[in-house]
Amino acid sequence: MADSKTNAKLDLKPVFFGKKEKKLLLDPLNDNNPITVQVLGICSALAVTTLTTKALTMAVAVTLVVGFSNLITSLLRKLIPSEVRMIAQLIIIATLVTVVSLTLQAVNYPMYKELSVFIGLIITNCIVMGRLEAFAMANDPWRSFLDGIGNGLGYGVILLIIAALRELLGKGAIFGFKLFGPGPDFLVDTQAISMLHWYTPNNLMVLFPSAMFVLAVIIWLHRTWNSKLVDVS
Amino acid sequence: MQKYRYTVLFVLILSATSALILAGMYTGLKDIHEKNAQLFKKRVILKAISPLLDKPVSSLSDDDVEKIFQEKIQQVVLDMEGNPVDAARVAAAGYKKGDALSVDMAKEFKKPEAERLLPLYVYKKRDKKYYITGVMGRGLWDLIWGYIALEEDKNTIAGVAFEHAGETPGLGAEIKDNPSFGQQFVGKKIHDAQGKYHSITVRKGGAKDPDFEVDAISGATLTSNGVTEMLQRSMKYYDPYFQKVK
Amino acid sequence: MELINIFLKSAFIENLALSYFLGMCSFLAVSKSVKTASGLGLAVIFVLGITIPINWLIDHYLLSENGLFGMDLTFLRFILFIAVIASMVQLVEMVVEKVSPALYSALGIFLPLITVNCAILGGSLFMISKELNFSESLVFGLGGGFGWFLAIVAIAAIREKIRYSNVPAPLRGLGIAFIITGFMGMAFMALMGIDPAALVGK
Repeated sequence: MADSKTNAKLDLKPVFFGKKEKKLLLDPLNDNNPITVQVLGICSALAVTTLTTKALTMAVAVTLVVGFSNLITSLLRKLIPSEVRMIAQLIIIATLVTVVSLTLQAVNYPMYKELSVFIGLIITNCIVMGRLEAFAMANDPWRSFLDGIGNGLGYGVILLIIAALRELLGKGAIFGFKLFGPGPDFLVDTQAISMLHWYTPNNLMVLFPSAMFVLAVIIWLHRTWNSKLVDVS
Repeated sequence: MQKYRYTVLFVLILSATSALILAGMYTGLKDIHEKNAQLFKKRVILKAISPLLDKPVSSLSDDDVEKIFQEKIQQVVLDMEGNPVDAARVAAAGYKKGDALSVDMAKEFKKPEAERLLPLYVYKKRDKKYYITGVMGRGLWDLIWGYIALEEDKNTIAGVAFEHAGETPGLGAEIKDNPSFGQQFVGKKIHDAQGKYHSITVRKGGAKDPDFEVDAISGATLTSNGVTEMLQRSMKYYDPYFQKVK
Repeated sequence: MELINIFLKSAFIENLALSYFLGMCSFLAVSKSVKTASGLGLAVIFVLGITIPINWLIDHYLLSENGLFGMDLTFLRFILFIAVIASMVQLVEMVVEKVSPALYSALGIFLPLITVNCAILGGSLFMISKELNFSESLVFGLGGGFGWFLAIVAIAAIREKIRYSNVPAPLRGLGIAFIITGFMGMAFMALMGIDPAALVGK
């Protein structure tokens, strides 16, 4: 109730990027993080985090899809008949995802190959659907867009943290640059920084289950630091 | 009734608009997609002869790749008897361009063995010829394939490049991701001293025979077995041709 | 024989939940009690078993180059697949409501959730990339659904027990559920080397 009142007030005196807008953008990064708090969009978070470059591409793709599907849905929100709400939303999302997939195929084909089915699975990334239902259907386009971008960023940050940890510990590299351990594509002359040889990359970190463990540790740290998020049930 | 009509109309317009946008985008980008797919394939093939190139494949520009293919690589398509097949017959098999690059190895893999077409790339460097063969088989989850480059003697391996459709990251996927797996193959031999076909075995627990065996990837026994099976079977396909050009 | 092979493979070895980690949102959100988990699991078997064959038909007779329109329309795959899934879920909801109100009240709330379960769309996309034929895709759908059902019931049972354990406060709920899922995934990795063809052959 209070929320809609303030909304109405803001509509009278349009603020382009005020406190409220800032909160929309930054809230998902911490208090309302889509992955660690709302538990949405986990599937892709696990599959694409073996390499940082993959995670970065996915984060950008999801941010764009959430931002623009929020924008479009919000523009159409008064036109969409309520009985076919879900189908209409899905059509918008699926179109945007196909656009992203076709673009990626043209811009970076090897990355498109690497991500394979997971680009398509952005459609069922609950973050997208969740934001449309919870926000875009009831708010104006500009704020919906910000909310979408904010949630995309909140998702992307966690994705990158997981991917960085997994790539560093699992492959001894980050963004493809080898830092630790032996390997033919070693960044610097092996002898000169042989001190980095104390770490042998741990293959477990590349495997799927390790993403679960890394995510659990991130949640643990996040909730220790931000204790209001602790599950009391 | 009025409301019902509006709902149907809305869904129809929405889907028609999105289908139109996508159709436009798809046709507009089709050429680029095809070019990208070709370049991707060419880069994998070049990876098999990367020790012979001036630069690592990853730092070659797209133009460099095209140039190498135009100037130094001759494409041949063979049938299972080892005879070169002309472009018209390749086109009749469904590959419009008729060259080795257009041959879809996954499609050939599904055909009965006697009807398959084999792509072969002959790379020339300083009067020496290198033969790049294509191999295809099954890994643990899905298809695996690769290109094996042989030296002038058609026996010693000059380099390999493996690809896979869905092996486990960190385990089976290492056949592609871990360069040291591929490097083991360099210098191995396909035939024994008597000229009998032998192929390469990927052995769990460490290679024993220095000429014909390489180390398996730990934790990926089935993918490693798949590589062995793929090499045993597919390299033999090229044998009749190599006997003829000898 | 081939079909039994595919069923076993999709249910156990290539488990959608524990080998590919698909459908994790509902897997974690609805696994607090065995009863609700098995309800959702049954609904997933149902929807996967229906949508994968239907999407196979659509892909082969509408979208492929030698289909009805004679053009390569694969760029419409995502839209049509998700539309089929959404409408099938709706249809299943209506049918179940008419035929068996008891089952409907048990499944009711979970049915709409299934549309955005990535295991469903993932199943259809895997069906494409594995190039299955019609009967194989039907078995793949049922097997995949069965595997997902097993996984969610198993984790729900573990989570019911773990409620009595002394878990560090910040890990309670979500955190510990992730760790359990990770261990279950590791356990399922042990099945990876099994060749069902050899088992069936015996």
